[in-house]
Amino acid sequence: MPIVQPGKRPARRFARSQVFGGKAVARRRGVNADLNVVPMVDIMTMLVIFLLQQFSATGEVLYLQKDIKLPDAHHGQPIEIAPVIAISGEHLVLSGRKVADLAELEKDPFLPIPALEERLRDERKRWEFVHQRDPARDRAWRGEVNLQADVRVPFRVVKRVMYSAAQAGYPNVNFATLEAGSQALAAK
Amino acid sequence: MAGTTVAEQGGRGRRRSLDLTINVVPAIDLLSCCITFLLVTAVWTQIARLQVSQYGSGPQSGGQRSAVTITLRLSPTGHVLQLSTGQDITVPATGKPGDVRPDYAALAARLAELKQRFPDQSAITVAAEDTVPYAELVHTIDACVGAGLASVAVTGGAG
Repeated sequence: MPIVQPGKRPARRFARSQVFGGKAVARRRGVNADLNVVPMVDIMTMLVIFLLQQFSATGEVLYLQKDIKLPDAHHGQPIEIAPVIAISGEHLVLSGRKVADLAELEKDPFLPIPALEERLRDERKRWEFVHQRDPARDRAWRGEVNLQADVRVPFRVVKRVMYSAAQAGYPNVNFATLEAGSQALAAK
Repeated sequence: MAGTTVAEQGGRGRRRSLDLTINVVPAIDLLSCCITFLLVTAVWTQIARLQVSQYGSGPQSGGQRSAVTITLRLSPTGHVLQLSTGQDITVPATGKPGDVRPDYAALAARLAELKQRFPDQSAITVAAEDTVPYAELVHTIDACVGAGLASVAVTGGAG
C-alpha cells in the first residue's frame, strides 16, 4: 500500500469529470527523483588523489610514541625496515620489548649493555635463519638498526646503545627523525 | 537514479533524445573502496633516517682513504671543525648564558666551504660530548649531510 498525502478523496467517477475544473484529482507525479551526484564524485576524486599522494608503500616502520619526541631533519632518507631501538626518558626498548631502565643504565659505569647485545644477537640469528638458503646472504646483510630516541636523551646513552649494536653485528645506525615539513603535523 | 546526463549532438536525420544517461554507481563504488583503503593505510607522519656508522666500523676505515680527515667536535659551547692538516675552525654557540644554542647556519656555511675546498671528501667524524642531547647530534649530522658530507661516523670523547 503506497503512502499518499492526506487530502480530498473524490469518488472515482469524478476523477475525469470537469465539474470541479479537473482540480479535484491531483495529477500523478513520477516516482523517480533525479539526484545530481556529480559534486560527490568530484569530491571523492579529489580525496583519492590527495590520499594517493600521501600513500607510502613501506607503511609505518616506526610508530611515534607519546614519550618520545623526535628531532626534525631536512636531509633525511626514507626509512627502511630494521630492528627498532627506542630510547625514551625512562626505558630502553628493542622491537617493542623493554630491555632496561634508563636510571639503571646511568648507574652502570660500563660501556656495553649486555641485555641489548643479547637481544640484537637473537635478532641477527633470526635473520640468518630466515635467509639461510639465500646465496647472497652475506651481501644482503647490512647490519642496520633504527634508533628512535627522545630529543633530550644524552649522547652517553646513545653512545652505549651504538656500541652494543656494533658489538652484536649492527654497526650502521639509522637515527630516526621527523621530516622538517611534517613536524608541525605531528605536533598537532 | 544516480546518473548524469550528457548533451548529445544530434544529426540531421531523425530526431533523437538529446539526453544520455551514464551510470556512475560503479565509479562511486570504486572511489569509495579506494578512499577506505587509502585512509586505512595512510601514513600521516613522515619519519626519515640519517644513516651513521660507529667510528672505526664504517666505510671510513676501509681501503679508500681521502686526502684529509675532518672531525667535528660537538660540545654544549659550540662546534669545532678539526682537519688533519692541523687547521681548526670554531663555530661558537649563540645566545645568552643559560640559553646557549648551537649555530647550525654558521656550521652549514663552514661545512659548505670545506666541501668546496675538498670536493671529493664525503666522510666526516662527529665526536660528541656525553652531555650533548640527541636533538643537537641529529641537527649536526643533518648539517653535515646537507653540505655533502654524507658518510658520517659518530664517536664519543670530544675533548
